[in-house]
Amino acid sequence: MIQITGLTKVYRRGRPPALLDLTLDVRPGLVTALLGPEESGKSTALRLMLDLERGQGVTLFGGRTYRGLRRPEREVGVVLPTVGGMAGHPGRTARGHLRMLAAAAGVPTGRADELLEQTRLAAVAGHRLRVFSPGMNRRLILAGALLGAPGTLVLDAPTEGLSPRNIEWFHSFLRSFAVAGGTVLVTTRTPQEAAQLADRVATLEQGRLVADQPVADFRRTRLRPEVSVRGPQMARLADLLLGQGALVRRDGAVGLAVSGIGRTEIGELAYRHGILLHELAERVVEQPAPRAVLPASSGRSGQVQLHKARTASDGSQPAPTVPGPQAAPGPHGTPGPQPVASPPAAPIPHAAQSPEPARARQAVLTAPAAPAAPVVPVAQAVQAPQAPLGTQSRVPDVLLTETQHLAPLEPLSPTQALPVMQAPPGSVPSSLPPSPLPPSLAPSLSAPLSPAQQVPQGRQAPEPGYALRAAFAGAVGTNLATATASATTSATATTTASAAGTAGTAAVGAAATGTVSTGTASGASALSGAGAHARPSDPATPAPVVGPDHRSE
Amino acid sequence: MRVLAYEARRLSGLRSTWIVLATVLLCDAAVAALLARQVSSGPLTVAAAVRSVTAAVPLLPLPIAAIGAGVLGALSYGHEVRHPGLAASQVGYLRRVRLLFGKVVVVGALSALLAVVTVLVDAVVTRLALGPAVDASQVFARGALTGGGRLPVALAVFAVLAVAAGGAGVLTASLTRSASAGILLLCALPVLLEAGLALFLRQTGTARADAADEVLPLQYGFDWVRAGSGPAVGGPLDLADPALLAVLASPAVLLVLVCLVAQLRRRAL
Repeated sequence: MIQITGLTKVYRRGRPPALLDLTLDVRPGLVTALLGPEESGKSTALRLMLDLERGQGVTLFGGRTYRGLRRPEREVGVVLPTVGGMAGHPGRTARGHLRMLAAAAGVPTGRADELLEQTRLAAVAGHRLRVFSPGMNRRLILAGALLGAPGTLVLDAPTEGLSPRNIEWFHSFLRSFAVAGGTVLVTTRTPQEAAQLADRVATLEQGRLVADQPVADFRRTRLRPEVSVRGPQMARLADLLLGQGALVRRDGAVGLAVSGIGRTEIGELAYRHGILLHELAERVVEQPAPRAVLPASSGRSGQVQLHKARTASDGSQPAPTVPGPQAAPGPHGTPGPQPVASPPAAPIPHAAQSPEPARARQAVLTAPAAPAAPVVPVAQAVQAPQAPLGTQSRVPDVLLTETQHLAPLEPLSPTQALPVMQAPPGSVPSSLPPSPLPPSLAPSLSAPLSPAQQVPQGRQAPEPGYALRAAFAGAVGTNLATATASATTSATATTTASAAGTAGTAAVGAAATGTVSTGTASGASALSGAGAHARPSDPATPAPVVGPDHRSE
Repeated sequence: MRVLAYEARRLSGLRSTWIVLATVLLCDAAVAALLARQVSSGPLTVAAAVRSVTAAVPLLPLPIAAIGAGVLGALSYGHEVRHPGLAASQVGYLRRVRLLFGKVVVVGALSALLAVVTVLVDAVVTRLALGPAVDASQVFARGALTGGGRLPVALAVFAVLAVAAGGAGVLTASLTRSASAGILLLCALPVLLEAGLALFLRQTGTARADAADEVLPLQYGFDWVRAGSGPAVGGPLDLADPALLAVLASPAVLLVLVCLVAQLRRRAL
């Protein structure tokens, strides 16, 4: 049992803290993963836990700090990254190294040989460490940490840079260690690894704990199964898929990322309609973690303030447009997944969820530090990850590019594809190698050019910013047209769009068509329907598109 | 005890340890042979014999064996910094001090052993390399070591010097956290210390400096000080003199204290 309380580290005064108030319990019998991108404070957290660095906060290993342990190597096994990944002096043999450490730990020499067997190093025990591969070195480090038969393991990126075989070995070892009652805390950078290895995943971002979830929740909210489809006739397939209720996103020039429908069904659909496929593969896509927003009074939120404003602005738009597949949300309902654990979901402040996104956006544009910006304490963010919020705030630049690339066969911007998060847990497929269909399956069809390629590239908004805003306004107009059918708002949206560029008007046109054709469908499906029907209904429309090569101009 | 076992295993498992030891012995033998060749004919004086047997070259700040012991000590700490065995378990201050102490003890013991082996090897080499005209019966007599005189004192001082150099190598490397910087610092120490100590001895009015010159196989400050202060009034060096002992021991104690204070500020060795 490791109790981490309030670990904080500020490397330089005035800088944002490398780690801020990390509080976490690592329970025995479970593998707990500390997940985060580089420089997010994982290693700092571990070093602070072990008192290797000065900082604030206390970490108790079974009730004592690490320094206070009488025999630390008998209670906590530590695997830290070493210089050059070497387990020890390069001129020493593996057996000599382990026996030396055994002497330091006060365990009999036989234990060293035992661990060499256990880590599958017995065959090379007589060789010097300089000929050891990274995987062998890492296993030797692990063997050294296990010498004193500790009940707790703390590992910093144990599988980083290892071969799949070694990674698999490490995973199975750590899992069996935890199953035997041990406590394991491990850091990792990849969510996929965290989902495979851990029973509990704590997500760090910029030194802050943004989520602490059981792995089932983690899989449900942070990983999203997708099917990647490639082929020459993706536009047609996208229409068919949208008709089936799937969520389709453009993925590269000639690819689609489909979610909400199985791989086999996509294959069958393509076969039945004679669509040639080049690739059909399942994969798992990472969802960014929800961002925890600090209260403004904490004194440390100077840097976070910017994100907060952006969170409010971006989070406000998709909220009305993203209904769950099961039911449209109420006026104040949470679009995200319902939390499993108590306390219940934190109600989002109204600014973040205003039914009039245009107004919210206006407010944000005028006042970057919105006074009504949502304050989501860490605990609530942990329990009820507000995924749309997080997604939007996390990748504003991705949003920008994706919105620029709004194309007729991509009716959904990636942020609107979020209801997929409610896919049942356990539906995370393992990533499979791409399995192209045999060409005999696909009937010989003349492969027409993708419409995006047919589109002349000259008639788009001259400036990316404008294009973004226009497309954005178009999306807003779509929402409003479907939701409220208010003439005035759509008029304003149209004027904004026409003022900004042609792309926006095209989107609004598509929205209008969609409204007509799909009738009472709500939210995202209406929008997707709009996108789906826009292209075939008006194929002659010359340039409603900001083409994929937009930025090259 | 665990620390001693660990350090002994660490030292013996490294190839560099054996390389250093072998190099020291080879150089010692070569220098001893060279010095023995240069001894002029006539009876072998104790000073010349000591110089040859301990292979003390005026070029070097320390006898070769002492330098080797210092290198071993510095490497012992430097390896710990570069390739920490169980880095995380050295967080506690007491544990680090214990490891430092263990290193000093093990390296000191090895240094003493190295000094003894050096003297034995060099005695054999000197005896073989002496010219036929040199009468060595006085030094290589049966009772030369047991029967008082300068020779046993000089050899004991040599052994103490080697042990001190080994320990100082560990400590200087612990100050600089680097083996090479520790070795350099160690080589600079006798140059500074000798002159300082000789000055101090002269200031206190006890004219023992020239006597120490004969005993210690060092050549630095004594000549320099004597040259500047007229003819020395020499008396026999009394190693049991508490004042002298205190003067000789004070730098070592100072070094240990500085190292302990430096470890206070650290989280790892």
